Amino acid sequence: MLVDVTKCVSCWWCYAACKNYNKLPETIKPDPEQAPPLSHDVWTTLKPVKKGTEWHSRKLACNHCTDAACVDVCPTGALSHNRLGFVQYDKEKCSGCGYCVEFCPFGVPQLQSNEITGVAMDKCTFCIDRVTNGEQPACAAACPTGAIKFGKHAELVEEGKERVATLRNTNTNAVFYGDKELGGLHVMYVLDEPPEVYGLPTAPEVPPTAIVRDILRWVGVGVTVAVLAGFGLNYVVSREAKMTRELPGGEYVRKKKDEKGR
Amino acid sequence: MTEPRVVERFKKRTICLHWIHTAAFLILLVTGAILFFPGIGEPAAGGMTRLIHRIAVVVFVAIPVIYSVFNLRAAIHFIKETLTWGKGDIGWLEAAPLYYFANDEERMPPQEHVNTGQKMWQFVVLITGILFVLSGLVMWFLKGTVPPELFQWCVIVHDVAFLLAFLMLLVHIYMGAIHPTMTESFRSILDGRISKKYAKSHYGKWYDRISASKK
Repeated sequence: MLVDVTKCVSCWWCYAACKNYNKLPETIKPDPEQAPPLSHDVWTTLKPVKKGTEWHSRKLACNHCTDAACVDVCPTGALSHNRLGFVQYDKEKCSGCGYCVEFCPFGVPQLQSNEITGVAMDKCTFCIDRVTNGEQPACAAACPTGAIKFGKHAELVEEGKERVATLRNTNTNAVFYGDKELGGLHVMYVLDEPPEVYGLPTAPEVPPTAIVRDILRWVGVGVTVAVLAGFGLNYVVSREAKMTRELPGGEYVRKKKDEKGR
Repeated sequence: MTEPRVVERFKKRTICLHWIHTAAFLILLVTGAILFFPGIGEPAAGGMTRLIHRIAVVVFVAIPVIYSVFNLRAAIHFIKETLTWGKGDIGWLEAAPLYYFANDEERMPPQEHVNTGQKMWQFVVLITGILFVLSGLVMWFLKGTVPPELFQWCVIVHDVAFLLAFLMLLVHIYMGAIHPTMTESFRSILDGRISKKYAKSHYGKWYDRISASKK
């Protein structure tokens, strides 16, 4: 998917189409001053940026990273990549731990929580059921200006780069974002300002803590196995040693204790 | 072989504390381990194990706190005992490999009420208990209000504490209940008593002290 902020007119059709198709509760058209944040029932929204008196917007939803921190840290396997590379999730498997919420470099996944139990994460699904049936995602299909485009990855990269090259003739801030970041995002952006302006980190990364956690988990497995094996060895060796020190009558043989240094 | 088990090693209330705390910790361990070890997280789906984790942690924290309020001296003694390290501990560390593998008692210095290995376990219980509670409080009550980086580090702290506590618990169980020479150890945490012989050979310094104070 290619999002071109220079073509976005902040009409909120993507937002409405997403809610409609995914059967999320409807709302009235938002005011850019009070753009609804992502939530368990807002899977795509706009990040409005005021320039002078004008509002510009960047579509804000899951970027479907190739190196996805959320997939790394998900303890239940609810989050995974599907065969197209999109980050899918199985809500039935979600434990509501919120690790994906806290580790996502874009702050995308959202937790529906209550104080007792029955909580789960939600986010953009890339309308995977539509895409696998040869249709565009609901947001892209609804976009009236071509600011959201769905297509083949290589073609979109080429198109995005061309567009940026054109923009750069008059605006040196223009930048193409997403083809390299995190192993390649499945949502790429044509931006007319540095990424931060639109709430995108310049160099997003899988948080080091996610990598530390990954290492810890496997170290944990290794050390646990080693410790258990050590017990087995110790048990055999020390039982043998104990038997050789015991006389048949059961008397415990002990050499005279050396009292020095005690 | 059956020696009369007449030496009081643990008081009833200590045994109660031990087992309630154990039960709570085992529940915490299982409901937590499924999120830590790779590939076994599915039982956590739906969040029921988190609810159980949170109920168990209330017991896990409340029981030692209540115990300490009613037995302040015992609690202070426990902490002092855990944090007091000396020459004897180095002697234990040096003698331990031969002692636990070759059953060689010659070089093992006489031990106090708890030996160095047990003290290490107490130390881990104390330290990881604090780490668990602090990081857990953040993850329970401050999710979403603290910066993501802090939350992430709390997950890591919880993980490290888990690994330490889990591995040392394995050692504790093995040493207390399975190791061939710890013949009376497990029964002593059930009814609190050990034989004189066992007390002399395993906790010589302590046994001398308590038998002297009784005279």
